[in-house]
Amino acid sequence: MIVTVTLNPAVDEEYVVPEFRPGGWFRVSRVQRSPGGKGINVSLVLKQLGVETAAMGFLAGFSGEYVRDVLRKAQITTNFLHVRGETRTNVYIVDEVGKVETGLAEPGPYISEEEISRFLSNYERILKRTELVVLGGSLPPGVPQDFYCELIRIAKQREIPTLIDAAGAPLLAALDEGPTYAKVDQRFMGAYEGVALNSLDNLIEAVQRVHSHGVEWVIASYRTYGNVFCTPEGVFLAEFDRKGIVSMFGSGEALIAGLIVAGQEGMETMDRIVFGMAAALENALHVEKGVKDRAAVEKQIPRIRFERLL
Amino acid sequence: MRICEVMDRDLTALSADTTLAEAIEILTRHRVSGLPVVDGTGRVVGFISEKDIVKAALPGYFDYLQDPSFIPDYGQFQKRLKKIGKDPVSKIMAKEVVSFSEEDSDFYVAITLIRNHLKRAPVVREGILVGVVNRADLLERIMLEEEPPSFA
Repeated sequence: MIVTVTLNPAVDEEYVVPEFRPGGWFRVSRVQRSPGGKGINVSLVLKQLGVETAAMGFLAGFSGEYVRDVLRKAQITTNFLHVRGETRTNVYIVDEVGKVETGLAEPGPYISEEEISRFLSNYERILKRTELVVLGGSLPPGVPQDFYCELIRIAKQREIPTLIDAAGAPLLAALDEGPTYAKVDQRFMGAYEGVALNSLDNLIEAVQRVHSHGVEWVIASYRTYGNVFCTPEGVFLAEFDRKGIVSMFGSGEALIAGLIVAGQEGMETMDRIVFGMAAALENALHVEKGVKDRAAVEKQIPRIRFERLL
Repeated sequence: MRICEVMDRDLTALSADTTLAEAIEILTRHRVSGLPVVDGTGRVVGFISEKDIVKAALPGYFDYLQDPSFIPDYGQFQKRLKKIGKDPVSKIMAKEVVSFSEEDSDFYVAITLIRNHLKRAPVVREGILVGVVNRADLLERIMLEEEPPSFA
């Protein structure tokens, strides 16, 4: 089973408001509500591709109930700890006329030390039947910045591979512990290296440096529709064009889910990358997060441009 | 229909050494009436419901009362509840657990729940907790399903 950890889940609310501007009063023409958080998104896509998955982390209040309910209806195994407060809501205001997107993100509920230790005992229990742990997203208030480090260490002791998709200080701390896979943002890599990574060569160098720290697979976003993959078999670039793309929201998580599914099926590195990218592309072709099904993902495979860089 | 289609794949559980005070907190926060008790590997070793906790906090003679309406307040009950709050769940949990496998039919599960006066029961795979089945969810499912053809 694939376990995903989302410590700070969210309800994503996307409001479509033509000609939105601050200070006004607007009627919303359309609203789209969905459970969010990187780990949860990965679980949803894994399920759509027919892989057994369990989602865990912290949920709170009314929004937390909503997230749990959607996961339950999708028949995804859950092991969330319910805490005081309210799971955060992330609001996106999309102005299709002015082509501007505005975002508001809440910090999330406060997690006490006792709740962290309860979470850890659930985590250790579920690891007994886990093939891979996916750690994703930001940390809620109260959770120490090096918490991902601890989760990776515990999984490593049991020889369970880990994948991290995060940013900032929590990711930096986690990289020291050597997760098996790390998905990083090009902007983050720039900050990590202290230089702007405006050329592909710079990015490759930075990715390889992370790889040499003991991270087997480093996946770094490159331009809008591409990723650089540093793997034990070499360094690759995979991209797709912008034709038919509606929203890249959730595509990073679809990529991760695709890589995992292909890995489980024993595909070669190159086929894994192409399958993962096809899942990311399929996710981007419609407003709803996630992929339609496996056949829809396979249909996008011919659109993935793939090349070996090193 | 198999029970895996209607079960709730939630793994929220207590361990045998969880205190009753903590168990009450988890039951209310998760808004459920009972939870499985598991060991470190996820194996189901017991089940505890709010009914078990109420029973443990009531004085022993309570069962013999025909009508409890003359009791003035819950002062005694509260005192006892606070006292047992530090006890581990293992002290009062049901150790003989009625559990189901994912392949069990909805009809078999319904009959077993009724026979044992249960609202919730764990679903296991080789003894390991994989979810819970709720009486209310089963009722909803049966209500929504099409009626089978009559033999008459």
